[in-house]
Amino acid sequence: MHGLELPNPVLVASGTFGWGTEYQPLVDIQRLGAICSKGITVRPRDGNPTPRIAETPAGMLNAIGLQNVGLRAVVQEKAPIWARWHVPVIANISGESVAEYEQLAGTLDGVPGIAGLEVNISCPNVTDGGRLFADTPKSAATVTRACRAVSSLPLMVKLSPNVGNIVEIAQAVEEAGADCLSVANTLLGMVIDVKARKPYLANRTGGLSGPAVRPVIVRMVYQIASIVTIPVVGVGGVTCLEDALQYLLAGASAVQVGTANFVNPRTATEIIDGLEDYLTQQGIRDIAEIVGAARPPAARPAVSTTA
Amino acid sequence: MDLHRATVTANEQIMPETHVLDLASPGLAKAARPGQFVHIRCGPGWDPILRRPMSIFKIRPDGISVMVRAVGEGSTIIASSPLDSELDVLGPLGKPFTLDPSARRLAMIGGGYGVAPLVALAVEALGKGCEVVLMVGAATADYVFPADELPTDVEYAIATDDGTLGHKGFVTELLPRYLDWCDAVFACGPTPMLEAVARITRPARYGVAGAMRSEKPVQLSMEQHMGCAMGVCLGCVVMTRKGYQRVCRDGPVFPADTLVWEGSRA
Ligand SMILES: Cc1cc2nc3c(=O)[nH]c(=O)nc-3n(C[C@H](O)[C@H](O)[C@H](O)COP(=O)(O)OP(=O)(O)OC[C@H]3O[C@@H](n4cnc5c(N)ncnc54)[C@H](O)[C@@H]3O)c2cc1C
Ligand SMILES: Cc1cc2nc3c(=O)[nH]c(=O)nc-3n(C[C@H](O)[C@H](O)[C@H](O)COP(=O)(O)O)c2cc1C
Ligand code: FES
Repeated sequence: MHGLELPNPVLVASGTFGWGTEYQPLVDIQRLGAICSKGITVRPRDGNPTPRIAETPAGMLNAIGLQNVGLRAVVQEKAPIWARWHVPVIANISGESVAEYEQLAGTLDGVPGIAGLEVNISCPNVTDGGRLFADTPKSAATVTRACRAVSSLPLMVKLSPNVGNIVEIAQAVEEAGADCLSVANTLLGMVIDVKARKPYLANRTGGLSGPAVRPVIVRMVYQIASIVTIPVVGVGGVTCLEDALQYLLAGASAVQVGTANFVNPRTATEIIDGLEDYLTQQGIRDIAEIVGAARPPAARPAVSTTA
Repeated sequence: MDLHRATVTANEQIMPETHVLDLASPGLAKAARPGQFVHIRCGPGWDPILRRPMSIFKIRPDGISVMVRAVGEGSTIIASSPLDSELDVLGPLGKPFTLDPSARRLAMIGGGYGVAPLVALAVEALGKGCEVVLMVGAATADYVFPADELPTDVEYAIATDDGTLGHKGFVTELLPRYLDWCDAVFACGPTPMLEAVARITRPARYGVAGAMRSEKPVQLSMEQHMGCAMGVCLGCVVMTRKGYQRVCRDGPVFPADTLVWEGSRA
């Protein structure tokens, strides 16, 4: 990722690892590739009514509604903790307008403890009639450009899978100055309570995550990584080494572990161990050797060809 | 709090669909407090994906016990764990009940499997020389928590919806009998029951009756669907006077006067 050297390619996903402190008693968090923080908004948010979680085969839906303490509390209370850590913390930001993204990115620029920004463009855009910024190449690029203009931090833009042509949006975001893409946020879904004959979640719809979404997102990473030149981070249903390898072979340079943290909080560190063993066993010196290896040779970007 | 691999050393059915599992884990035994819970994985696969929260029912020298009511997919898998199998247990989690040393007479009220954490609390309270009355409610006599699972010093009061055992009606209808007697109230069960406990124990603002019913500390153990049980996913919140708070980390035990019912902020 431009300007940010990650110690390894296994990150933990936003909203599934809190502020990083919560899992400290269980997980050696300093070994992680990076921690993506809980989504941050300008003002503190209460989030949605309950129930906020539903289960579905090999997946879950959530409709948390971005409950968080707000920008000021993050700068004053969380960032000073992160500044003492080795593990890079990437702040995940969500705005309701372009101006809010600017305020978030601008305020976080240069704050010690914040190693990069993950721009979540998949939250409701109240200034544009309920559409998402991630919905069109134009609005996705506008947000990216606005953040780029006010921040010197490495910029990872998190795409929504709930769009017609994600490759088009990835290209627009790359052209607008993103250093990296995270692919993807949750898939919009719904569970109906058949006894009550109404949607189960109070918010009616929720975001699907977990192993159930993996094939969809692996496909998206495969498509996007063939077209863009910036690194892609695969996010969706990573539970073990094999899952992480699928993403790397599809063209991702790194992965994020999300829902699996709830099931086994040590998933990410176990994948890091597994990956080290795998590379040694396979005699691979640089992980770049396997990135995109599942794609047809012609489409692969020129990596080292000395072998 | 830690991840434990706990061996099932006993699995006994004590009521229809309800099993008590003894889990061997010295680490859990040492750390567990009444009112806390554990988060148990439903097998090695990913369906069902989420762990299931279960209250700490007994604290033994070599481990803990949980009482599991098989109501759906996850709880049925856990309840049918064979002897000598291993469970993946995260815990102990959450804030325990608080036993104020000045409280000597304790009224406890449990609905359904909500009796589980109260049994652990009753054992601890008796050990400290307290007097305990435990009121439990169930649909019918078959589902009444068996008295032989309780220390004999506990005064046991029963209510059933259909009147097949004890008082006919809601268990909360028994509470007024003990309200003047007790120093503190503890409850765990379905949310409507907890709301009723809060209403019955709330000191009236006006009138002699209200003044006499002085402010007794009331602790309620709340339930909510959980994702992480570690305080990160924010899936398990309940509304309090301070805004949404997490059942898994800020609770499950909350003082009754901090809770706001039905999402309306008081
Ligand atoms: C703090 C706490 C302590 C608990 N202690 C006990 C106990 O000691 N003994 C016991 O039998 N049960 C206890 N429960 C409830 C138990 O966790 C649920 O009955 C169980 O999760 C149901 O899972 P299932 O797969 O069988 O049901 P399903 O209906 O298949 O579950 C579907 C989804 O709903 C959730 N769910 C369903 N009912 C509940 C509920 N009542 N509370 C929370 N989530 C629910 C499940 O976790 C799952 O995500 C406790 C719950 C909490 C929050
Ligand atoms: C409970 C929960 C909360 C989430 N909160 C956020 C958030 O605040 N910002 C964000 O960009 N993504 C959020 N996500 C999405 C995850 O970061 C991730 O993209 C998604 O869960 C897919 O990965 P997984 O299948 O490994 O969980 C959240 C996901 C879950 C399950
Ligand atoms: S269950 Fe995740 S915050 Fe409580």
